Amino acid sequence: MNKIDLTCIIDDDPIFIFAAKRILKVSNFCDNFTIFNDGMEAINQLRPIMESGDNVPDIILLDINMPIMDGWQFLDEFIKIKPAKQTTLYIVSSSIDPVDLEKAKDYELVTDYIIKPLSKTRLIKMLQETESK
Amino acid sequence: MDTIEKILLTPKSETHNEKNIEFLNAIQDSIAIGSWEVDLRTMTIEWSEMTKRIHEVPSDYVPTFDKAFSFYPEEKYREIVSNAFERAVKFQEKYDIELKFISAKNNTKWVRSIGFPVYENNECVKVRGIFQDITEKTNRVDDIILKEKQINTTWHHSPNGMAIIGLDSKLKSVNNRLCEFLEYSEEELIDLNFERLTHPEDKNIDAELIIEMIDGARDHYEIEKRYISKSGETVSCLVSVSILRDKHNLPVHYIANLANVSKLREAKNDIKDLLHTTESQNLRLLNFAHIVSHNLRSHSGNLEMLLDLVEDEIPEATDNEYYPLINDAVNNLSETILNLNEISSINTRSYNDLTHLNLLDYTEKAVSSTKAKAIETDATITLDIDKDVEVLSLPAYLDSILLNFLTNAIKYRQPNISPNIRFKAQKTNHYIKLDIEDNGLGIDLNLHKNKLFGLYKTFHKHEDSRGLGLFITKNHIDAIGGKVEVKSEVNKGTVFSLYFRYE
Repeated sequence: MNKIDLTCIIDDDPIFIFAAKRILKVSNFCDNFTIFNDGMEAINQLRPIMESGDNVPDIILLDINMPIMDGWQFLDEFIKIKPAKQTTLYIVSSSIDPVDLEKAKDYELVTDYIIKPLSKTRLIKMLQETESK
Repeated sequence: MDTIEKILLTPKSETHNEKNIEFLNAIQDSIAIGSWEVDLRTMTIEWSEMTKRIHEVPSDYVPTFDKAFSFYPEEKYREIVSNAFERAVKFQEKYDIELKFISAKNNTKWVRSIGFPVYENNECVKVRGIFQDITEKTNRVDDIILKEKQINTTWHHSPNGMAIIGLDSKLKSVNNRLCEFLEYSEEELIDLNFERLTHPEDKNIDAELIIEMIDGARDHYEIEKRYISKSGETVSCLVSVSILRDKHNLPVHYIANLANVSKLREAKNDIKDLLHTTESQNLRLLNFAHIVSHNLRSHSGNLEMLLDLVEDEIPEATDNEYYPLINDAVNNLSETILNLNEISSINTRSYNDLTHLNLLDYTEKAVSSTKAKAIETDATITLDIDKDVEVLSLPAYLDSILLNFLTNAIKYRQPNISPNIRFKAQKTNHYIKLDIEDNGLGIDLNLHKNKLFGLYKTFHKHEDSRGLGLFITKNHIDAIGGKVEVKSEVNKGTVFSLYFRYE
């Protein structure tokens, strides 16, 4: 199992960020993280990275309900970027509202919708998916 | 009448020439009036042609006293006529009476009989009189009386207020009901300008309509108008006004019919308020559902993740009495939130979202998903559903409903008796009725009827009775516009009757 170089977490919940980072580290999934606390911060920072192709995260974990700019608004901006290098994006949300699950399918960019909490088993599956891409 | 009286009282010798008789008969014929004469000296009676015709006897008929009175079979009228005759003879009183009469041909008629006594030397020698058929007139009067009674009854006992209003807007006549809801007496209302009782905001709202009606462009109009009662209450009325015209087509007065709709109005407003409250409550519930769906879940999710990490990273921290209990509590919390989510996600969809689903297909699907349990418990499942019966539902709801009843039927079987479960579908007027009958433990309905479909209600000690199944199922059934009934006997079994809409 190849280790992933860089994971980007876009979430406003410090406990989730702490726990997610630890799980990713403990399960030997990834050591390096970029953290953004809302969609606006994320899109502003990620746009030059995606366009230049330097330091592009292998995986992006995107929360939906966030202040300032939520996950959907982030996605609407993110799909406008012409990336120099591909990345894999997962929505990771505690919302099990069928409306949200359906909406995620509208974005080709979204590989999957993961319902929180994040577990080790789900991470292993995620890694396999990323590798096979 | 004076001329007739003169003719009748003129001595016979003077009238008894051919010409006079001819003239008299002609008059009698044209106005259906006959004449008669009783000669008290000879005790003979003479009837004119017309009198005979009214009696419906042949022209050669010879009347006698007895015969003459026999045309009045009713005691009452016979007495009237004989008394009048007697008084005429004894006291020289002329008479003019109306009598009910039965002709020789057995026709009931009304007749008018006028009698004049003729005196000679202070002695009554003759009584002469005229005889008139007034049946038609009497019937017409009776009809009018009846009609007037009908109108009066309608007027006074009408559930609506009614008024006759002059062209000057003054009330000419009012009925009890109108007095009642305007709280004025009839005396107070009569001659009062009706405009003065109209709600200030509603004055003149029908001015144009009245002009159109006077001009003849319309014969009536309806309008909703408010009035002010004596105690100052607003009375909302549905008013229907028509106009009465005389024979020259000139307006005489208005007739107004006022239905008091204040209570209806109030009720409507109450319903509006209630709807508003319900809507805002619903909105709050939706918000609540969202809070449950997202916020609560994210906290319990975090707790789960943290506990997993502790287990991985600091295993020694889990080796105490507290950790497993905390772990259980977190798991229970997560499960409760999951259940709440399931419930809050059931929406009453607009019925247009529902699709026609084949009931047999869906039931077979439910049966095949419980196959393992059915084999394990040696259950017999019979499907008595016509292959083209369709019901209206959302696919997921129908799956969940059928599966829930089937698994319940197996789960709550009697110990040592193989479950026997029967699905039977029938078409009724508005629904497809699906009976699901089992021979299981049954439910004590006297004890549990009211909470059968309640949340977290369980009726049997079973390891995975969560009290959620029937609650959710009932909500699904409600959401697709169906209903459910239950019959059950402890240790005999249960029949759930599900009603699905199909059109």
